[in-house]
Amino acid sequence: MALTESDVRGIADYARIALEGEELSQMTAYMNDAVAMLEPILAYNLPDVDPTFHPIGDLSNVMREDACDTGRGLSIDAALDNAGSSRDRYFRVPSILGEGDDA
Amino acid sequence: MKELTEVLRDWEAVIGLEIHTELTTLDTKMFCGCKLSHDDEPNTNVCPVCLGLPGALPVPNKRAIEYIVKAGIATNCEIQKHSMFYRKHYFYPDMAKNFQTTQGPVAFAMHGHLDLEVTGRGAAERPECAFGEAEAASLASASAGAVGLSADLSRMAGEGAWDETNPSPSVPAAASEGALAALSGYDTAAFALPERHEDGSYTVPIRILRIHMEEDAAKMVHVGGEEGRIGGAAESLIDYNRCGTPLIELVTEPDLRTPEEARLFMEKLRRIFMTLGISDCSMEKGSMRCDGNVSLRRRGDTRLGTKTELKNLNSFKALHDGLAYEICRQAEVLEEGGIIYQETRHWEPSRKRTVVMRVKETADDYRFFPDPDLAPFDLTDEFIEHCRAEIPELPDAKRDRYEHDFGIKRADAEQIAGDPAVAELFEEAASGLAGKEAQTVANLVVNELPAHLKATGAAVEDCGIAPEQLRSLAKLLASDAISSNQGHEVFVAMAETGEDPEQIVDARGMRQVNDTDALQATVDEVLARCSDQAQQYRDGNQKVIGFLVGQCMKASRGTGNPKLFNELLRKALS
Amino acid sequence: MAAFDSLSARELAAAISAGDLSAREVAEASLEAISARESEVQAFLQVTPELALEAADRVDAARAAGDVLPPLAGVPVAVKDNMNLQGTRTTCASRMLESYESPYTATCVQRMLDAGCVPVGKTNMDEFAFGSSTDTSAFHPTNNPWDVMRVPGGSSGGSAAAVAAGEVPISLGSDTGGSIRQPAALCGVVGMKPTYGAVSRYGVVAFGSSLDQVGPFGRTVEDVALAMDALVSGGHDRCDSTSQEVEPVFARALSGSVKGCRVGIIPSFMEADGLTSEVRRGVESAARALEEAGAELVDVDLPHLDAAISAYYVIGPAEAFSNLARFDGIRYGYQEPDCRNLAEQSARSRAHGFGAEAKRRQMLGAYLLSSGIYDKYYYAAQKARTLITADYAAAYERVDVIIMPASPMVAFEHGAISDPTQMYLSDMYTISINIAGNGGITVPVGLGESSGLPVAAQLVAPAFKDERLITFGAAVERAFSGADFSAPVLGVAPACAGKGGELA
Repeated sequence: MALTESDVRGIADYARIALEGEELSQMTAYMNDAVAMLEPILAYNLPDVDPTFHPIGDLSNVMREDACDTGRGLSIDAALDNAGSSRDRYFRVPSILGEGDDA
Repeated sequence: MKELTEVLRDWEAVIGLEIHTELTTLDTKMFCGCKLSHDDEPNTNVCPVCLGLPGALPVPNKRAIEYIVKAGIATNCEIQKHSMFYRKHYFYPDMAKNFQTTQGPVAFAMHGHLDLEVTGRGAAERPECAFGEAEAASLASASAGAVGLSADLSRMAGEGAWDETNPSPSVPAAASEGALAALSGYDTAAFALPERHEDGSYTVPIRILRIHMEEDAAKMVHVGGEEGRIGGAAESLIDYNRCGTPLIELVTEPDLRTPEEARLFMEKLRRIFMTLGISDCSMEKGSMRCDGNVSLRRRGDTRLGTKTELKNLNSFKALHDGLAYEICRQAEVLEEGGIIYQETRHWEPSRKRTVVMRVKETADDYRFFPDPDLAPFDLTDEFIEHCRAEIPELPDAKRDRYEHDFGIKRADAEQIAGDPAVAELFEEAASGLAGKEAQTVANLVVNELPAHLKATGAAVEDCGIAPEQLRSLAKLLASDAISSNQGHEVFVAMAETGEDPEQIVDARGMRQVNDTDALQATVDEVLARCSDQAQQYRDGNQKVIGFLVGQCMKASRGTGNPKLFNELLRKALS
Repeated sequence: MAAFDSLSARELAAAISAGDLSAREVAEASLEAISARESEVQAFLQVTPELALEAADRVDAARAAGDVLPPLAGVPVAVKDNMNLQGTRTTCASRMLESYESPYTATCVQRMLDAGCVPVGKTNMDEFAFGSSTDTSAFHPTNNPWDVMRVPGGSSGGSAAAVAAGEVPISLGSDTGGSIRQPAALCGVVGMKPTYGAVSRYGVVAFGSSLDQVGPFGRTVEDVALAMDALVSGGHDRCDSTSQEVEPVFARALSGSVKGCRVGIIPSFMEADGLTSEVRRGVESAARALEEAGAELVDVDLPHLDAAISAYYVIGPAEAFSNLARFDGIRYGYQEPDCRNLAEQSARSRAHGFGAEAKRRQMLGAYLLSSGIYDKYYYAAQKARTLITADYAAAYERVDVIIMPASPMVAFEHGAISDPTQMYLSDMYTISINIAGNGGITVPVGLGESSGLPVAAQLVAPAFKDERLITFGAAVERAFSGADFSAPVLGVAPACAGKGGELA
């Protein structure tokens, strides 16, 4: 079943990608093309085949010791330097429940 | 609203808990080498990994995995050798990657239980009808309807993702099928039936669905709103120090039926985790946090009601009172013909009520999938046995031993055994003692010590009280050398000065006088002075004896044995 | 003495070690070559003269002090702009990260620096590595040095073009579905994707975490081998849970013999729709060259290969959605001004920070991971992965390596493939290797007889047998260069050769 523009808008809302103007119809067309291209994979839901989530052979139980790695720590300036907005020693975001399109 | 006990006669409350515990005693975070923050300046314990910088990759903390395995063993869980970390996606700034690294259908620890002993007034919350055959049916239907309480788990169950128990092709298919069978086939409701004792108390096993490993979120400060709440805030500030702190989440089966059971479960779990040393277990600081799920159904009904999720149950009292309120609120709504909505509610202790935080119209879709950056786990027997060997004597075993070896009261033994530092102090102080002396040590540890700690704000380890002091004081008390009031005074003094109680007693001339000749003189003097009261006693007012004993104690400057004064007074007045 | 671009990395390092050249003059020559050729090629997003000269001066000082120099001392290197290097921006060719300063250095980059390399800049790419043309860079396209009207391939197009243009002898790229091997083919250079886990991914901005792998470009197989030794020296990276220990045996493998070895050919691959005849003939001639060197050609069948493209376009977007969720404009990256609330700020920052293809992939991934859909697609894709991996394993029971095209065609013109799903099909020969996690290498075999543009063959080998890629790659190279040591088959693109960067 094809994805509708409303479906695509729902995904965009979830993925926090604002689609503007023509973008919604273009994205819907793309999504349907892409999903159609992926159709062959549906035949591979075979009951007797295990999935491979990690292409790493038998590698397992990879862990590190519980020891401080001060070399990798960032200074407060380095941490905040790339932030679009900060206040004092904190990262800052605008009102979470503030007035908006859907608030 | 009706009272809880009244509500619970007509309604059955089906309660499950989700308990998050930060592994605060580790040195570093879950997936990076940043120091665990306690009270550090904001954003000082951060690195590319826990800030979610582009290109950073996680590596799990081995000791955190050991801790969760220990937690699993100590709560009678099966340790799952094969499991994986998953990514749980949601856009919120407290998660630096906008996904949380957590576990999937298979957690490190699954299918455990803790047995609760419910006594005293708390036992009365479970009504007469909630025992026996009806209870078996109730448990079976509740478990079947709610395998996994958290939304994410039911999502996984609902969508058939339980098939994903096989982490990689290197794991034989049989292992995954075994895990699957264990997951769906373990519904042994009869196992969780309460056993009632003659004194009205009862024992009930509470099943644990799972304990999984995850990472904590950052702390947010909401600025410009009321009381730092999110609503109305103009902006929010984020401190990522806590982000990535190792966190274990325990999910119970919906086996709890009263707020008291929920409280006892939490207390018991906390004692176990304290003993394992995996966390400071501070509910006040948020190292241990509890959410409750509760729904009501008519007694005898097998269909589950709509549940609400309760947040901010951050003390034992809040856990009990919040659940009790919510049960009564739901009962009132239902009895008035209303509908319970599936929603998250916030307990407000100051106003003694719960308020809506969020209505869940549809199940959240967290887009779970196995984290490709983290290798699967295939825990070895050696690893698990190494963890098992490191588990100290657990509170239940310790309680039984104290009760048996020292002959102290079970309730006292339970309380002492629950705190490793207190237990250590008790054991040293009571070493070689039994009977009255041991019980007196227990009394001091259970009554005097907490008051002292509260007054001084000190921890047990550095409260300044040596086991020898306790032992010496207990002997003085047990032999009636001093009175219990004097005992309190000596306790305070010895904590302050570090002196031996014998010395304090001697220096203050406190030694209790048990010589009846000496006491008789005081009695005579008091009776001469208080002839009115003496007459009242003779006229049948027995209560006035208390006043006369008090006068005798005063006259002897507290050194006379009050029991003997009592006897002598009665003899003199008869 | 010689033009900078006529010397290989090995020759440059040897000359510097011997004192015939200083690291500083080599670095300056590289920077001159870049400034002389960039207007045509546009391989770089950022050139870093200060970092380069500083590093070069350290090499010269170390030599003056009598220290033993590391194996690639003074060799200029360019790195793809999805790799963190402190002192540079790491933009992933995206508006989202236009001003992102790298707070740390990726392990792979650090290993190159530890081997003595001199960092001259960060190279262009498809935005966040989503693409096969480098045209989706938010800043500018990169032109193929062999024909500036054409694309260099992608997504590591800048790294391939910089080597083909003679701006640097070696560079690093990353390969999620062919992003090293395809641009290497289109630019006529050697490009290698090692086995997943051989090179640390720490510090490389993730696209598909179970598919991404870092590898080198060079004009000779020998330079690629030396870069591989540098990348794996130092062993398993404790910062990457999926990285594994690999011995630095690559330079040694150059002299290995292919005599008596078996080389697999997949007949269905050689007859596939869309494979141009000049590429097919190029691959066939490479196979014949190996046969002449003493190897035996064996037909092998990989029955589940037809699932590779769809499996890839399920796994890749799903992982990409997850990996790119962190770009919300809060901790770093583009932040939309004047938003009323957080949700609006995130959605607009992402809408305006990401380009069209980055948004498409994330949208597709978010859909494929959603409840109900996940089980049908993602789960099936990971099962197909099991089957494809098993197919390769079975084939390697019979052969030592497999030879196939790297790209179905030579470099195409900018804008020639405008439909995104059509573009996805240009990965047909490379992605099954990422699905299985094995290694592959692209080696040029000459110019196509109809296009006059570079044509290449791809060799693939079992997991953690990447040294075979060097042995067989070197054998192909010797056959087509005519030299009995490692010498480039094609060398620097003629339009660029010798422009700027003369060494005294």
